[in-house]
Amino acid sequence: MAAIVKTSAQQPPSAGVPVDDTSNSNKSVPDVTNAKSASPRKRRPNYAQIHARPVPVVVHPLPAFIPHNPLSIVRIAIVMFSHSLWPPTSHDVVHKAYYSAETHSIHVTNPQSIRALWEHGFWGAGSLSRSEPAWLEQEKRKRGIDASQTSEEYTRKRREERRQFKLERAKVQRETIEQQLRDEGKLDASTSIDEVVSLRLNATVDAADGLVDNSASLSNGKPENIGTLESVVDESAHLETRVALKDVAVEIQDQEHLQLTPEEAFFLTYSLGSLQIYRGETALSSSYLLRLYCAYSAFPIPEDAESHLYTLYSLRERINNFSLGTSVIAPILPDNAFLLRYAVYHHFRSLGWVVRHGIKFACDFLLYQRGPVFAHAKFAVIIVPAYSHSYWSETPERKAETKAKESRDWWWLHRVNRVQTQVHKTLMLVYVEVPPPWDESFRKGGFAVDVGGALKRYKVREFIVRRWTPNRNRD
Amino acid sequence: MAPVAEPFPISHITGRYLLFDIDAISHARREHNICGVLVGTIPNLSQQNVFLGVPLELMPEEARVLIEQGHAYLVDEAEAHQTGFAQMKREDRLAYLQTLDQQGLERAKVIQERKEERSEKVLREKGLVPMKQESSCVAPSETSESTSTPSLGIGISNKESTAELSLFGRPSDPPKPVALPETKLEAQFITPTTSYPPLAPRSVNSSLPLPKVAQNYPLFRYLHSMRYFSMPGLRFGCHYSVYPGDPLRFHSHFLATGIGWDEEFDLLDIVGGGRLGTGVKKAYLIGGEDSDKATQNASGDAPNEESVRAFSIEWAGL
Repeated sequence: MAAIVKTSAQQPPSAGVPVDDTSNSNKSVPDVTNAKSASPRKRRPNYAQIHARPVPVVVHPLPAFIPHNPLSIVRIAIVMFSHSLWPPTSHDVVHKAYYSAETHSIHVTNPQSIRALWEHGFWGAGSLSRSEPAWLEQEKRKRGIDASQTSEEYTRKRREERRQFKLERAKVQRETIEQQLRDEGKLDASTSIDEVVSLRLNATVDAADGLVDNSASLSNGKPENIGTLESVVDESAHLETRVALKDVAVEIQDQEHLQLTPEEAFFLTYSLGSLQIYRGETALSSSYLLRLYCAYSAFPIPEDAESHLYTLYSLRERINNFSLGTSVIAPILPDNAFLLRYAVYHHFRSLGWVVRHGIKFACDFLLYQRGPVFAHAKFAVIIVPAYSHSYWSETPERKAETKAKESRDWWWLHRVNRVQTQVHKTLMLVYVEVPPPWDESFRKGGFAVDVGGALKRYKVREFIVRRWTPNRNRD
Repeated sequence: MAPVAEPFPISHITGRYLLFDIDAISHARREHNICGVLVGTIPNLSQQNVFLGVPLELMPEEARVLIEQGHAYLVDEAEAHQTGFAQMKREDRLAYLQTLDQQGLERAKVIQERKEERSEKVLREKGLVPMKQESSCVAPSETSESTSTPSLGIGISNKESTAELSLFGRPSDPPKPVALPETKLEAQFITPTTSYPPLAPRSVNSSLPLPKVAQNYPLFRYLHSMRYFSMPGLRFGCHYSVYPGDPLRFHSHFLATGIGWDEEFDLLDIVGGGRLGTGVKKAYLIGGEDSDKATQNASGDAPNEESVRAFSIEWAGL
């Protein structure tokens, strides 16, 4: 929050900066002051400036009041006056997005929105990238148009270097062993050391070549681009040949879109109001979206759940008139996976953490302090439902059912704990108190859901687990 | 290693399956790929895990595999002990008690000797010559005139006191030797550590139920049938860590988790397991048994198909 206030204070408060104005200019241009340093390595872009805003909303704070400077009161008065006459808006742009039932994610296709959402709060992930939507840059670089380096390429390079290092190390080890054997007289005395070593070395080098070949053939199928459609690959190959032939920089069409998880999208629509989800041309209400996301989080999902729900939604007036609402709309269960996840997501986002999906580390969410570009995630969140409300222990069947849902075995705990220890994250078990069913009472209004009222019933408890080893935990 | 006659007994004590015979332990490991975990230690001086000794605790799965294949049988130790001693003949019991007494007496003698050795050593260190005949416990009646106590120190002080007294010129009566009551050597009480010299070897009793196993047993049985060794894998978050040969010679290759055929599980578990396995240079392995096929195999309707399927998962990105 401090960052927001600072930057906005430097800018004219009523300027109404467009959301994406810093996006393109800052990203590719390296910092001039930093470029002076002697190191040949290219400096990182100034992330603190690019990601100054933690949410895609503009705030307009009053100028600071300085007690020994009476003129500051005048400034405050002017700003207050101008705000009351022309109230500034915090939502310059409401981004547009679409729900994709196939991938159970929300797609943002407008490039400006993609950049803005990524820069102001790290929302979503590029469909063809690891997290930051960088496919276009990668593509440009591949064709020699742009000289910057994306994180995927950096990782690839690092892995290659590491492999080379391992080969070198193996070679050196081999040499020392040879030397040792020679000293001990175990090697044939007639062959010279160099000969033996070079023979062995040739063998190892051959083996290494084989390795290189293998890894080269492997690295052709880049893991990041697995999701790439055949047509995209074809087209890019086609484009490549064209570039080679004509030797001109071709305008590359951006094939990538931003994918938001339902939790992110719902937070942006419901809590921040800076995202609007459309189906065709119609904007969707947040209670419909809640029902939609919940329907897609319960298993099994019927094939045409989305279109079915939408038909009901578009007919809702008539349904209400005939009071059919209760029979056709499935109620949202209180322990729906989306609700649990959203409660946790909302909890941590509201506390200022950057929350991202944690599937790559086998957890539900990863918590970053400022964002993935600044530091690694500190915490890995795993959600466990807790049925401590008396409603859940009323009947034996209900008790057995909830017990099966909330219980985990020791192997599970050891597994998740060990995985998180390996990647230097702290495991956080987040217990979400599941309230008794609440949707029945809201159902009279058909689709309407009192989202705030429903969310207030969920309580979140954090519980940190750490693997303790006496040798490593001395500090 | 003495040859072990099959089937060998597995002791079932308070829900644990234990092997006490060192030959049986090595036999199970060599012939049947069953490792178990050594759990024995001294009660008041517990050891690190690597220094533990017999008995060997078997997982219920291991015990069950051995019993199902007819290599071993189960003995309910508590019951066998009670009935065994209740049905013992009178002569046998007396003979047994006598041997216990004999052992106790020998033990007491050893302790006594050690005590004397120690006191002798201390005296020699102090520069005092122990008097041979003063080993009072053995022959208290042979003590010298001046000493009445077995301890030499007191004897010396007695002598000094007589010298002092003579200094003052008083005729001194030599103190009367006080005869110590003869200490009888008390037999130590021996707590017998085994019931199987006194009791006859146990007979095969098939009435005991098979060890109760969780639903991951079919996977264990399957891997065992493929000549794999398994160890408990809790520290890797899996049911078994699976070795291609003896765990003393090989690293484990798989982290195996048994799952029911129709059981739903979290996909995050696969991500985590794969990640964990790859991090320690192993593959995560999940497997389960098709219960339909298992019943078919049991009834003999269908050709004997393998009812267990297993999949190994590796994290490709690392």
